[in-house]
Amino acid sequence: MTTKNNESLIGFDPLAWINDDDETPAQEESSMEQVDEISSEVADESSPAEELSSQESLSEPEITELIDNSKITLDDTLNINTVLELHGKLMQALKDNDSLEIDAANVNNIDTASLQLLVVLKQEAFKLGKDIVFDFPSDRFIEAAELLGIDNMLGVDQSAAGFF
Amino acid sequence: MSVRVVAIINQKGGVGKTTTSTNLTHALAKKGYKVTVIDLDPQGHLAVSFGVTSMQISGIDAVMLDEKNVEQQVIAARDNLQLIVAGPRLQEIEQLTDGGAKRGDLLRKALHENLQDQDFVFVDCPPSSGVLVANALFAADEILIPMTSDFLALQGLSHLVGTLKRFESALKKKYKISLVMARYVTRRRISKEVLNTMLKHFPQQVLATVIRESSVLAECPSSGKTILEYRPGSRSARDFRDLADAFLEDKVM
Repeated sequence: MTTKNNESLIGFDPLAWINDDDETPAQEESSMEQVDEISSEVADESSPAEELSSQESLSEPEITELIDNSKITLDDTLNINTVLELHGKLMQALKDNDSLEIDAANVNNIDTASLQLLVVLKQEAFKLGKDIVFDFPSDRFIEAAELLGIDNMLGVDQSAAGFF
Repeated sequence: MSVRVVAIINQKGGVGKTTTSTNLTHALAKKGYKVTVIDLDPQGHLAVSFGVTSMQISGIDAVMLDEKNVEQQVIAARDNLQLIVAGPRLQEIEQLTDGGAKRGDLLRKALHENLQDQDFVFVDCPPSSGVLVANALFAADEILIPMTSDFLALQGLSHLVGTLKRFESALKKKYKISLVMARYVTRRRISKEVLNTMLKHFPQQVLATVIRESSVLAECPSSGKTILEYRPGSRSARDFRDLADAFLEDKVM
């Protein structure tokens, strides 16, 4: 069954049938006609299947929600309006992980409040013996950090920024 | 421990199959694993990515046509990394209409009890849905599906999963299926939504490392180098080193 979610960019979920039941969609719906034809032939013919070594079915993977928050991507704009939410997100990530990778490639606007938050986060990580790395900082991110004289502290000085 | 046969498959084109095949296998080889990678795409792009540009060398085509043994066709591409090129006649196999199910079983038979000194055999599949992909599905124990972060890729994945389920039923086996988000564009909201949709339907199956879209990955095939050679210090090289770790350690999101 497919569903429409008005808030999502994904109008309907083409994979919804997987969770609805364990049945595959009707074969005629598949675009892989020739490969499906061969699978049907396998089902009909015994010889190749007989030669296959039998394998026990693996158990279905356990369904658990385990979202890795050790890698965080910063948004395009970070300012006083977003800093509270970002604070919560980063502190939780720091609590959950021994090291954090923060992707700063998309940052286009960042204010002093947000930079202060990142400095505090770095200091907090240092106290806890944890590691925070800012990956692929954008030019704007580096520029703002340089302006406040914290580029070295954040580890985003140009020499550390690598190829990007 | 027996060799693990992994098909890198997605019938949609441009999702990063060959890029993943090239760079993941090289990353594994650099970690000391013995890896053979087979180019099952008649376009021969995998070989080009490794710097093998002659289209006239016979490869897996001659093996599947029962003219050569698979061990005869390996080319030492890098340390610990062997390549079997597509060969000029692979397209003939794609167009086979006779032979029933047996025409799908050529690769599995060719690999049977061969390449036993290898840790991994990877099969880079063509962006199609014919006899060659069926051969990969017969031969493989594991499936690695590269995905792009767009809606049509989800649509294609739905068809692919249906096909995999039918093969599992027909062959009476259960694939280990992993997905890798390749060509990931972090700044697009749709990317995150596609990834979340994948996580919802494939819990514990999406590898923890995403391969971010980058210009260097598009550049390196023209030099015949993997990303680990072309820009070893780049974020893309690191993505593939991380992906190799995730693949080896079953690190998933």
